[in-house]
Amino acid sequence: MALPITTWRVIVAAWKHFTRNIWLALTTIFVLTLALLSVNVLLGVNVVLDQSVHLLEQKIDVSVYFAADTPDAVLEEAKFFMTSLPQVDSAEVIPASQALDAFKKAHAGDQKILSALGEVDGNPLGATLIIKAKQTTDYPFLLQALDNPQFGSFIESKNYDDHAETIASVQEISRSVRLFGYGLIGIFALFSLLIVFNTIRVAIYTQREEIGVMRLVGASNSYVRMPFVVEGILLAGLSLLFSAGIVMMVTAYADPKIQPMFDGTPNILLTYFSTHLPWIVGIEGGALAFLVAISSWAAVGKYLRK
Amino acid sequence: MITLSHVSKMYSPDIHCLKDVDLNVEHGEFVSIVGQSGAGKTTLAKLLIAEERPTRGNITIGGWDITKIPRRDIPFLRRQIGVVFQDFKLLPQKTVFENVAFALEVAGEPSRRIRDVVPQVLKIVGLEEKAVRFPRQLSGGEQQRVVIARSLVHRPKILLADEPTGNLDTINTREIIDLLLKINAFGTTIVLVTHNREVVNALRRRVITLADGRIASDHAEGKYLLQT
Repeated sequence: MALPITTWRVIVAAWKHFTRNIWLALTTIFVLTLALLSVNVLLGVNVVLDQSVHLLEQKIDVSVYFAADTPDAVLEEAKFFMTSLPQVDSAEVIPASQALDAFKKAHAGDQKILSALGEVDGNPLGATLIIKAKQTTDYPFLLQALDNPQFGSFIESKNYDDHAETIASVQEISRSVRLFGYGLIGIFALFSLLIVFNTIRVAIYTQREEIGVMRLVGASNSYVRMPFVVEGILLAGLSLLFSAGIVMMVTAYADPKIQPMFDGTPNILLTYFSTHLPWIVGIEGGALAFLVAISSWAAVGKYLRK
Repeated sequence: MITLSHVSKMYSPDIHCLKDVDLNVEHGEFVSIVGQSGAGKTTLAKLLIAEERPTRGNITIGGWDITKIPRRDIPFLRRQIGVVFQDFKLLPQKTVFENVAFALEVAGEPSRRIRDVVPQVLKIVGLEEKAVRFPRQLSGGEQQRVVIARSLVHRPKILLADEPTGNLDTINTREIIDLLLKINAFGTTIVLVTHNREVVNALRRRVITLADGRIASDHAEGKYLLQT
């Protein structure tokens, strides 16, 4: 059998199947597009959540407040010790005078605090050591490391807890959303499989006469099957195009809306989808085409048993 | 050409369509298989094109044992056996030319060969002037001639005609039988499954009578005898 001729005839037959059953084809494309959109919505939500966690992680640090009379040598010792730890990203000493200025600036509108500050002789605030860890999970270790006898006794207080709980809850939300999303994808995949399978079955039913004649005159099983499989792949490809168009439109609309939430970082979603485009198209398109092709292959099988 | 050896076909323990049938058809023969409804004629036809498999016994066609023919080989068998049915089985949305060409297309024949062969077979069946018509624009006899043309495109060694005149009037029946005789004269073995007594008696060729799934008679120049 001449392969190029047969391939061409299979493609032509697939196109005829598609155009003769255009409403069925459109329904299938609609369902497949919904399935792909559910996956892409999950990806977009993941991006937003990851970005939120990342932003919060940028803001997290440990502030170590030293006593007002702490010698500079002890501060330097503390800074040197913490910087030497592999878990530490940065450690910065804010001198007492700078801490006082920052305090006054932060409470500029609070007359009571400012007058109380005036009652105290000199600078009541000590220096502050601000430490950023490379990983949020390293903070408990760093807090323990601060109990170093060489400078631990000069520490008046430490401040860490504020963002940790927020990060934990964002991570928890992220986990729940992902879990829900996977469930959603599973359900849509199942629906898509059933609908595609039934669509192909109906398409085959309408052409059972032609299939019977094809078999009668000596068409091989693969020659009968392949037009339906190719049609399925065509439906998958069109669904991929439609869902890509919708994702791009939604992204263009949503990016400016979420920009203020992320310190003005522009085009978070667009950047993600454009940089991951080959992966997304490859995996989503490949999985969908495989799913549809297998459905078509199995659906035709019923008519090829004799 | 065709050999059935102790062939039985059962659909269930209670339903025996063929019982221990022994049959041999030589190359170039014109054989009529007759019998009343339920005698097993159509089951025999289905066995010959591997639409059904025998429960017991062996079937050989042109030296090829098709008793347990693998599914993937059935298309090759069907390209060697032309099949004509009572209900034509033409594709209504295709023209005469396209219906005939279809049998070559599914076999992967090149377009040039299709353009050469189809007019030839249409000429044999006398439909070269009606190549662009659709089946609905043809008479019953003409539609059956299209089916015969389609069955000839692979130059089969055997032509199996299952009640080919069942839907035709006397004139068209005569034309189809004459066409089958013409094809037989070219050397193609014809197996005609029918219950048309006039056709069988007029042919004066070999007649095999089936009754209750068994061969009741087999005469070289037989007649369709009434079953009691």
